[in-house]
Amino acid sequence: MADLLKSIAQNVQKGDDKQVVELVSKALKSKTAPLDILEKGLVPGIQALGKCFKEGTAYLPEVLIATRAMNRGVEVLKPQLANVDVPNKGNVVIGTVEGDMHDIGKNLVKLMLESNGFKVDDLGADVTPDVFVSAVKGRKVDIVAMSALLTMTMTAMPKVIDALKKAGLKPKVMIGGAPITREFADQIGAEGFAEDCVTAVDEATRLVKG
Amino acid sequence: MEKKASMPNRERFVAFCRGERLGEVPLFDWFYRYWADTPSEWVKRGAPKEISTGKGFREYFQLSHLHGLEEVVSEINRADLKADTTVQGPGLYHPTPPIVPVFPIRVIKEDERHRVETAYSGAVVEVSKEFPWRMPKYLEYPVKDWATWKEYKKRLDPYTAERWPKDWWRFVEKRNSEDAPTMMLMAGFFGVLREWTGMERLLYMFYDDPKLVEDMMDQVLYLILGAARRVLHDLRIEAVRFWEDMAYRTGPLISPDMVRKFMAPRYKQVTDFLHSHGIDIIHIDSDGNVNELIPIWLECGINFPWPLEVAAGNDAVALRKKYGKNLIMAGNIDKRALIESKEATYKEVTSKVPYLVKTGGFFPGCDHVIPPDVPFENYKYLINLLREINGMEKLPE
Repeated sequence: MADLLKSIAQNVQKGDDKQVVELVSKALKSKTAPLDILEKGLVPGIQALGKCFKEGTAYLPEVLIATRAMNRGVEVLKPQLANVDVPNKGNVVIGTVEGDMHDIGKNLVKLMLESNGFKVDDLGADVTPDVFVSAVKGRKVDIVAMSALLTMTMTAMPKVIDALKKAGLKPKVMIGGAPITREFADQIGAEGFAEDCVTAVDEATRLVKG
Repeated sequence: MEKKASMPNRERFVAFCRGERLGEVPLFDWFYRYWADTPSEWVKRGAPKEISTGKGFREYFQLSHLHGLEEVVSEINRADLKADTTVQGPGLYHPTPPIVPVFPIRVIKEDERHRVETAYSGAVVEVSKEFPWRMPKYLEYPVKDWATWKEYKKRLDPYTAERWPKDWWRFVEKRNSEDAPTMMLMAGFFGVLREWTGMERLLYMFYDDPKLVEDMMDQVLYLILGAARRVLHDLRIEAVRFWEDMAYRTGPLISPDMVRKFMAPRYKQVTDFLHSHGIDIIHIDSDGNVNELIPIWLECGINFPWPLEVAAGNDAVALRKKYGKNLIMAGNIDKRALIESKEATYKEVTSKVPYLVKTGGFFPGCDHVIPPDVPFENYKYLINLLREINGMEKLPE
């Protein structure tokens, strides 16, 4: 069984979705626990790819095909996972801020967070502060993640933080985008900052643990 | 305008690129382009009205003209769409890859804040009504597979008459007689593909259907070489530019290995052709962190990157130390410093410009087109600082 799970992880890392689907089906037939397939096969695969990305041996196309392979594997597992308590690493509300229509970076962050066990509510692009507030109100939201590509629109980020505060809501806030820096995050009171979709997973993990 | 201005502008531009005229700051307008709404925002806040036109902006800031050959439709910057600014932007911030004919604009739906429409490029986009000049959200792209590509590529023939100015010989005569260095604008092998397919789809295609990626790249090659043959035969050209935008905050969008495999051989075909026509000033526009791309570009004969965004980790001083005069550079003045204050602008300029112009081949400017949140006063202060390095008088108040 260990070999099969290792092979699933390797094929996720390689982005071979057909192999992953085949191997996950094989693991299920051999009565491997669905949660083990997820946590000891699929997840280590995507984590290994994340490590390669950080080390500079994998790039965005490799991230995308690995994520796709993982998701195809999860689709096979889903019916079996229905009655299993799958750990949720955290609830995230994500959006590109008001005035900014860019969503490529935000979409990649969403994809990676979901592949790494977070539940993500995507509000889209050009999201006003009140929409962020409504998405958080009355729900258990651990993180509000905001993206901005422009110096002109990054100024909308503190407005969202203010609106959340005024509404008495206290999710952790994580930001990212081309002009964003850790200094800017500190300045506006955002607890998290990520410079790409892979470090966003690390940062989100840090925030939910803290 | 600038010191030693007796040298014709075309020769002066080439001299700067060759690392000559040491200590002097080149002030050419191409490296001081702006977002479409920047001048109007500045005028609203009290700047002189004369800056509202390209010519007025150039004259106010006393910049020399570097002519990007937008009249020949071979890149995303194109003069043919700029007349129609009523529905969409002029093409610069809403890239329309070099297709002829373009698709008709059709509004699909709209609400108070947004309008969904088909764009010139054939994409379906959602535009902010409040900020129509900003990049829209792409909802659908025109190239999805081989079938859609086969239809789309029919619009990418270099010999389509509408791709060229109507009275070519009159245009040639006028351009060649003007003392403005001229840069032919070429589509690159990544940027326009992304505009046709969307980024995610393109990145998947590198693995799922590499032959389709190569076919699109080959069509770009056919288009730009076909266009270049005519342009270089008839026009005086000092430089050529590729438009790529193939990097983001921390690095390239595809691996250096992929760049070498898919793009480098095609770049090389183009640059070999250009070199055979005496063109060796080859500019490339890519936002993001391009540190891993520069050595590959140099191997391919591409030697002049812009904008070298500071927030993305590009450092022109470090690049100069690493590559010497082999690399001509433009931009790298941090827009965030220009937005912040005159003091931050001073620090930014003095920390890099004197060294870089002493070592030659550097065109300082905002590290992308100038956004409207850069105050007019700070921008004028930047130009005056650069003029001061040249021993020139300040711009008139």
